Amino acid sequence: MRNPWAQTGNYRTSYEQDTTIFATYREIASVVALLVALLVLPQLLERSQVLTLNFILIYAIAVLGLNITTGYAGLISVGQAAFMGVGAYTVALTAPYLPFYLTIPLGAAVAAAFGAIVGIPSLRVKHLYLALATLAFQEIFVWTVGRMPALAQGASIPVEMRNFLGYEIGFRNHNHFWYYVILFTLVLMVIAWRNLLRGKYGRALVAVRDNDRAADAMGMDPGRTKLMAFALGALYAGVAGGLLAYFQRSVVIEEFTLAKSVGFLAMAIVGGLGTVVGSLLGPAFIEYLQLSMERFSEWIKGSQAIQQIIPPGVDVASALLPLSFGLVIVLFLMFEPRGLYNWWRLVRSYFRTWPFKY
Amino acid sequence: MQLLVDKVGLAFGGLRALSEVSLEVAQGELVSIIGPNGAGKTSLLNCISGFYHPDGGRITFEGHDLTRASPHQVTQYGIARAFQNIELFNGLTVLENLLLARHTFSRYNLLEAVLVYGPAMKVGVANRRVVEEVIDFMDLEPYRKALVGDLPYGVRKRVEVARALSLSPKLLLLDEPMAGMTLEEKEDMVRYILDIRAERGTTIILIEHDLGVVMDISDRVYVLDFGQVIAQGSPEEVSSNPRVQEAYVGVETP
Repeated sequence: MRNPWAQTGNYRTSYEQDTTIFATYREIASVVALLVALLVLPQLLERSQVLTLNFILIYAIAVLGLNITTGYAGLISVGQAAFMGVGAYTVALTAPYLPFYLTIPLGAAVAAAFGAIVGIPSLRVKHLYLALATLAFQEIFVWTVGRMPALAQGASIPVEMRNFLGYEIGFRNHNHFWYYVILFTLVLMVIAWRNLLRGKYGRALVAVRDNDRAADAMGMDPGRTKLMAFALGALYAGVAGGLLAYFQRSVVIEEFTLAKSVGFLAMAIVGGLGTVVGSLLGPAFIEYLQLSMERFSEWIKGSQAIQQIIPPGVDVASALLPLSFGLVIVLFLMFEPRGLYNWWRLVRSYFRTWPFKY
Repeated sequence: MQLLVDKVGLAFGGLRALSEVSLEVAQGELVSIIGPNGAGKTSLLNCISGFYHPDGGRITFEGHDLTRASPHQVTQYGIARAFQNIELFNGLTVLENLLLARHTFSRYNLLEAVLVYGPAMKVGVANRRVVEEVIDFMDLEPYRKALVGDLPYGVRKRVEVARALSLSPKLLLLDEPMAGMTLEEKEDMVRYILDIRAERGTTIILIEHDLGVVMDISDRVYVLDFGQVIAQGSPEEVSSNPRVQEAYVGVETP
């Protein structure tokens, strides 16, 4: 009798079985273990650490969306933050009247509609020119919001939610409550992502990315597929934006600028394009980088010896963040274009047959 | 007649690629199109499969007008095409490449795709079964999960035909499926082509430069030269036609 826990490959014997994601008990167990760890984690952390964690998970949802548009369909989008903003502002406007489990899907739907519209240039232009079209949307979004009195001209709009089904959400448990909401949403979005992309839709997106002429000959409409890629990517961004609005208790335009869009692209690349694991690792890595750079610049400010070297009037701290950010992206593109996902893959394949070499 | 090409013309600027080309193909026939380089063979195929739209004439397939149809519409009517310069998806496995071709047969929506269990699974398994039959038919079992980009040229050509076959076509357009192959690979490919017709009753239009192959397996042959049909008929009739000999080997000047 073979031991299913010692299984190192797959024992699939039917086409139904071959459609499943996990081949071994150990793979399922590791996912369950990860989920349990994520459920317990906030209980062991301080409020400020949960705050960082929340940002990472929200960004992970947005990056998942970007991984559909850019990772799967190969359409470079530098408007992901703007789509996130569409979701957030929809939530900000509807939150006084509707509960959050309605406003967030509504925000996602509106963002998806915007995504489909912004995707229209993709029917004609490709590559960098398309990226410019999304860049234009990003800038138009920020400009428009900044001039709309209904949206407080980009200043803070409060989004209040004080209790949920009788459960009081105050200053002390705010971060923890939203952590679980965000985690639950993220899990749902990951499952949907995986299921959607392993079927015909995922194949259509890849086909259009690799060779849209051949995709056309295979009976898929490249135009519709591209629009769908944009709409789906924006949908994920909309969900992330809605969650961000509730979690931050306000919507401000600074959260949805070009810098954020580029940041999402960086997260997707550093994590590894087109993968779930990459969508989680990328945001975690970039956020951690930001945190440690902030800590590092604090240390520089406190250190007398270094302060003497630096000429007066130069603020090293504010230069460090973009510098490290750019350096990391360049290094990843040069030495590990497949991103952190590839490291994770190597480690995993090593442990598959561990402790044996082969 | 299954496919009717009626006086089709196509021009690129001042260059007439096709002028008044007419073609008739009946159900189950194996028709070859031959001609010197630049005669317009691939242009004609592009017109049929919707990549080019002719500026004159009409193309109909089983009553559907193809003259203005886009490639994916043409595919949905039951016409599949294997490209001359392999246009496979190199980053995907052979299996995925073939499953891709089942796109139009996968009738489920986004929601059903997200839910997986239900229609999406049923359709997915049915597609897999069809694709596995094609894999078996084209002897691609050893390469099922190999990336297409890693495969040798001859195998990729076979995958290209297999992918077209996965569309379960009524009419198969083969654009030089044997170009650049060794003699042995050519013999295999000819066998596949004959088997496709015999077992599936698929109508086949073949473009090929190897006249030996063409004359051996075709029911009828069309000869194109400078965008015009200069001869048509059975292989014997065509090969004895003086205009064809002139186009291929030239005329002796006294």
